[in-house]
Amino acid sequence: MKNKYIFGSFIIVVFLGIMIYLFTQSNIQYQDDFTEVMNTNKTVKATGSWVKEKNYHHDKVNKTFTFYMVDDNGNEMKVVYKGSIPNNFETAQSVVVTGKYVNGYFHAKDILTKCPSKYEDEQIRTSTL
Amino acid sequence: MVGTIFLVIALAFSVMALVMYYLSFKGYKNTLNYARISYHGMVMFIIAASTLLWYALLNHQYQYNYVFSYSNNSLDTGFLLASFWGGQEGSFMLWLLISAIIGVILQSYTSKRKELEPQVMAVFTLATTFLLVMVSPWFKNPFEFIWATPLFLDISSINPLYLELPFLQPFFFTDNSSGAGFIQMNSELHGLLAGSGISVNEFISDGRGLNPQLLNFWMQIHPPILFTGFSMATVPFAFALGALMKNDYKEWVRQAFPWLLAGMGILGLGIMLGGYWAYEMLGWGGYWAWDPVENSSLIPWIVGLAGIHTLLVQRKSQLKGGFGKFARTNLILCILTYVLVLYSTFLTRSGVLGDASVHSFVDPGNIVYFFLLLFTGTFLILGLGAIVYRWKWLTDNTQTEVGLLSRELALFTAAVVLLASGLIILVGTSAPIFGQSVETFFYNEMILPIAIIIGLLNGLSLMMKWRNTKTKDLLKKSLPSLGIAFLISVLIVVLGSIDEILIMLLVFSMLFSLVVNGEIAFKIIKGNKKMLGAYVAHIGIALFILGVIGSSVNSQQVDVDLIKNETVSAFGYEMTFTSWKPIDNNTKYSFNIDVKSGDSEYQVNPVMYVSDFNNSLMRIPAILTLPTQDFYITPLGYDEGKNSFVSQRESVVLEKGDRIDFNGMYIAFTKFHLNEGVMEAMQEGRDFQMGAILIIEKDGKVEEIELLRKQISGKVEFTSFASEELDIKIKLVKLTAVNVEIALSRMVNEIEGEIAQTQEILYISASIKPFISFVWIGVVVMVVGFFISVMRRLRDSLSK
Repeated sequence: MKNKYIFGSFIIVVFLGIMIYLFTQSNIQYQDDFTEVMNTNKTVKATGSWVKEKNYHHDKVNKTFTFYMVDDNGNEMKVVYKGSIPNNFETAQSVVVTGKYVNGYFHAKDILTKCPSKYEDEQIRTSTL
Repeated sequence: MVGTIFLVIALAFSVMALVMYYLSFKGYKNTLNYARISYHGMVMFIIAASTLLWYALLNHQYQYNYVFSYSNNSLDTGFLLASFWGGQEGSFMLWLLISAIIGVILQSYTSKRKELEPQVMAVFTLATTFLLVMVSPWFKNPFEFIWATPLFLDISSINPLYLELPFLQPFFFTDNSSGAGFIQMNSELHGLLAGSGISVNEFISDGRGLNPQLLNFWMQIHPPILFTGFSMATVPFAFALGALMKNDYKEWVRQAFPWLLAGMGILGLGIMLGGYWAYEMLGWGGYWAWDPVENSSLIPWIVGLAGIHTLLVQRKSQLKGGFGKFARTNLILCILTYVLVLYSTFLTRSGVLGDASVHSFVDPGNIVYFFLLLFTGTFLILGLGAIVYRWKWLTDNTQTEVGLLSRELALFTAAVVLLASGLIILVGTSAPIFGQSVETFFYNEMILPIAIIIGLLNGLSLMMKWRNTKTKDLLKKSLPSLGIAFLISVLIVVLGSIDEILIMLLVFSMLFSLVVNGEIAFKIIKGNKKMLGAYVAHIGIALFILGVIGSSVNSQQVDVDLIKNETVSAFGYEMTFTSWKPIDNNTKYSFNIDVKSGDSEYQVNPVMYVSDFNNSLMRIPAILTLPTQDFYITPLGYDEGKNSFVSQRESVVLEKGDRIDFNGMYIAFTKFHLNEGVMEAMQEGRDFQMGAILIIEKDGKVEEIELLRKQISGKVEFTSFASEELDIKIKLVKLTAVNVEIALSRMVNEIEGEIAQTQEILYISASIKPFISFVWIGVVVMVVGFFISVMRRLRDSLSK
């Protein structure tokens, strides 16, 4: 009887231990202040919006996709993604890029565009009126 | 207005039913009939309100904010019906409607089975009450009028007949950046329109429409199925809490069993239909992205699965008298399944996932956030509170002894392992609440070993007897299956060139499960077919996971430029882009690609179009499904020369001293050039100009240029610089006090662009997904298995 509980607890502790370890390994912080993004050398998820006015550039030779992002404080940053243009990119109301800021631009390994979904009501931009 | 009243009446009926059912449970004799009448009254009003909403959508009654926001005149009937659940309000409404109807079945079901109705229906009506409050006028009411909260309507959605109305002028607004015109709709304008005898419905001629990503066949099917699964999860919860209220733990098990099985079968189907939708339409390139929204509905499913395995043990052990083993575990799991459905709703609807999900959610406001929290919290506290309350009694009366090599323990272990995987996904999915996030490898690395254990455990447990098994017998019995599984695994590993040890183990584990289940299913198919359920479901899951391994481990992707009529090959497929044609009344473009694989020739048609809804380019992939793999083509862009979809311009922002590379040249911004008196001129509003000095350096030669920002009688102009020799064109785009922005392009590019007009290029991303069909086949087989089990358990629930 006693052994059963000891064995059970042992399994649980090992499981939780592995989970916590992997969690810390795969954990990425969100960062919506680009000055912070530029100053850290850790991988972060930078959230901001695509600077539509500056368009995007799809380099077909090097297969890179370049665009500019701006945070709420108006800090701009250049983002370069190795790969092709993400689907529905133009729809994006905001963009979350995962990667690091090195040598003057953000090296994104993943782009997540937040597009309106079925649970969302895309409001007309009222702020500029 | 009528719709809102219907919903309020339904809410009153629901509360009434709740009270009456509770009183019946407390022993009052004459209240049961009132409870039933109230419940059915509630259902009628919910159906009436839903019908009204559908009627309003079909007839384009844009005076309702919901109808305006989620539908428009161009939708066909199918999508108009589906726009019912296009938004937050309507999806709560759908959940409510399905719950109400399921409650009718549940009422009839429980009334025919031993004194279960009062307490089970009391709990169930508590759930409908919460949902009714959600769609009531105080929260997310789909019948809210468009003028209730001020809203900007695009000019194009207004009936042009009325645009000249004089009193309309103060309500016009223009967006400075896009130049688009809007009319502000509010109660004041509504009053003015009503005063002139114009109905809002006439005034607004078109709605905003459904998001183009939702305009897919599966939009009409996936949400109702998912919500049926959600609604059905309420039932085992109601049975469990009812049992705790009555302190009787025998009967509920066999009565809740078919409901739990059916609910989880449907929820599983709903989740994977969502995955199929994503694969076919959204162009994620896959069916599962560990996205929090997908995960959040997967968690209750996994917990429900765990519950099915332990419920089986309790039911089996009941036959020997008493209420059976794992009584507490089952109560907890059935309660948690529904609480996690509610938690999933909280995660996806409250806005807490904000940045974390591909789907994005507008913050519905604090009041909805707290209401969802209250909804989830109430059911969690009620459920767990009742268990804590009965804990001592349950502990004293539960049988505990379980043999080490018994099927009981194996099933319990299966439940524990499933719960562990549920916990992993729960932790990862909840992380964004605390501003954290996990990369998908967190899920993959954690779930992989668990999936291996599940397959092996599944195979072994089916060879164990109830109560106890001799180790020798077990070994003897399992050797042939292990051997067969091993041989096939070796074959797959070699042929599929799998080099990761864990993946090899997973292949083996799934094949072992497949062989054991297949063998048993084969044996009993001639005899008692109703016993087949579990084996069929397990075969389905094993096939599914083998499909996941095949399609993800060996998936490859490459970007290809298809020049018209030139053949390019990738992964053994020869692709030729031959033509394009407009489809759907010239609103979309279908591209024709001839694909040749070996001797077979196919045609695929990816589609691109610019959606009016959000002014963006939508790309719909084309999938060539072959027996062993899918060839998946996502269009990226199309270049026809001048009017290309893809922009070539590159613009950069430079601060003083910045230097960039462009086409083998260095371009540096050295300084601003301000003449004397510029500041005064600026302040006095006279004409002035500011300059930015740039240096272009190529092969050691340096050229200094100046670009100007001129202000002439209030208008701003920018100059540009062009040089054929350097093959560069620089245009000043913006000049501020701290930096300049310039647009760079090559001269040759423009000339090339003219020539290239005849050279059309289609940019695509091509990938192969080996054995992905196993994923879909596996899901279908699994769901069939669930329903065979439902039939068996339904019969069991009726036995005396």
